[in-house]
Amino acid sequence: MLTRTEGIVLKTQKYGEADLIVTYLTSDRGIIKAFAQSPRKTRSRFGSSLEPLTHAKISLWGKEQATLPKITQSDIINSFHQIREDFHDFISISKLVEMLMVLIPESIPNKKLFTFLLNILQTIKESEQSSKDALHLITRIRLLATIGYAPRLKGCGRCGGKGLNFYPASGTILCNKCAVPFVAGQSYFKISSNTIHFYTHSIEWPIHISNRLKPRQEVLAELSTLLDRHLTYLLSKKLHSSEFHSGISGNQEYKSRTT
Amino acid sequence: MSNGVVENLINELTKLPGIGRKTAQRLSFFIMGIPEDEALSIANAIIEIKKKARFCRQCFNITEEEICSICRSSQRNKNTICVVEEPSNLIVIENTKIYNGLYHVLLGALSPIDGVTPERLKINELVERVKSGDISEVIIATNPNTKGETTAQYLSQILKPLGVKITRIAYGLPIGGDIEFADEVTLSKSIEGRNEM
Ligand SMILES: [Zn+2]
Ligand SMILES: [Zn+2]
Repeated sequence: MLTRTEGIVLKTQKYGEADLIVTYLTSDRGIIKAFAQSPRKTRSRFGSSLEPLTHAKISLWGKEQATLPKITQSDIINSFHQIREDFHDFISISKLVEMLMVLIPESIPNKKLFTFLLNILQTIKESEQSSKDALHLITRIRLLATIGYAPRLKGCGRCGGKGLNFYPASGTILCNKCAVPFVAGQSYFKISSNTIHFYTHSIEWPIHISNRLKPRQEVLAELSTLLDRHLTYLLSKKLHSSEFHSGISGNQEYKSRTT
Repeated sequence: MSNGVVENLINELTKLPGIGRKTAQRLSFFIMGIPEDEALSIANAIIEIKKKARFCRQCFNITEEEICSICRSSQRNKNTICVVEEPSNLIVIENTKIYNGLYHVLLGALSPIDGVTPERLKINELVERVKSGDISEVIIATNPNTKGETTAQYLSQILKPLGVKITRIAYGLPIGGDIEFADEVTLSKSIEGRNEM
């Protein structure tokens, strides 16, 4: 059976001699994997339409519940090549894409998520370099909020009182009173009220408005670390792309971004 | 008749990239049908490659010696390094006969989402070669796809401070393609038409 849909390429893996397995976020089937025959051959009709982040109209061939349908056609709607051709943008967006892939189970329709990612790609594509650090961080926060995994930073997660200590294992800030009986001995780290402020805005304001916020580098660094630790706890492992990011940041010959 | 040995071979063959169960079955039946000495020579070739083939200590090309024949050759231009992802890419470029310098095989391409970091590739080894040798140009011939491009950008950033000329092969090659499948004419043109990064 031939079906048509729209998809955003999340990832590709080499398969066999010249084939590819493509992971898509589709408009109507959620995350799916599909298989493309010989796209790596240089005269392939797929051209660059299977490159990561491409938004394309695709035709799939396979039984209704086939685990690996075959891609018979793929026409680019928006290539978003500007994002993947910018080294920093690509590393940052890879974190978001990896989060999507590890937090969302396959084959569960989620139109909202598709629109969300499309909107983000469009926003990043149109953004100025100077606001990119903040923007990438905002997109990750909003993804977590969209799928219900956002850390709680607005007041103590138990009593709503004031606090600045974030407990990754509880996914929330806890005030000094509550922290003692509930999470004695758990590791936490202190964040600034500026960070909480920025975080709250980036969840509550529309993305094109929160994108105009100009947070300080310390705020971005702090929040980026907090999200990484929150995710590491959530997934019981570090994201590959976070490891990649810290890896290249550690290289003194290389000047990397904060987020 | 027991199916044990046949089943065993089928299972072993499916471990190879691109070999599914059906192909493995077909190959197994084919091997059953050929004379014993032919089958033995296939088996021996596999054993030999594991015993003798290794990566060149300098460029990570496949070789039977410590240092490969390209690195050892006195005929090659030792001031240029052409960086490729895989040994198979090196072979295609050699076949064009247009390039006479040295190589460096990264044994992969950077990919944040797969956790392929610079340390997992032979990038430090490349930096060391550029630092210590008489290298005037590094030609980056990674694949014209996202992973290859990401790798090229990273290499360019870390090699530039070393004062070496960095070039990237030109795009006669279509994006999404793989050097392994490029025809020799296209590939020659893209090496000739390389651009400074
Ligand atoms: Zn409390
Ligand atoms: Zn060598």
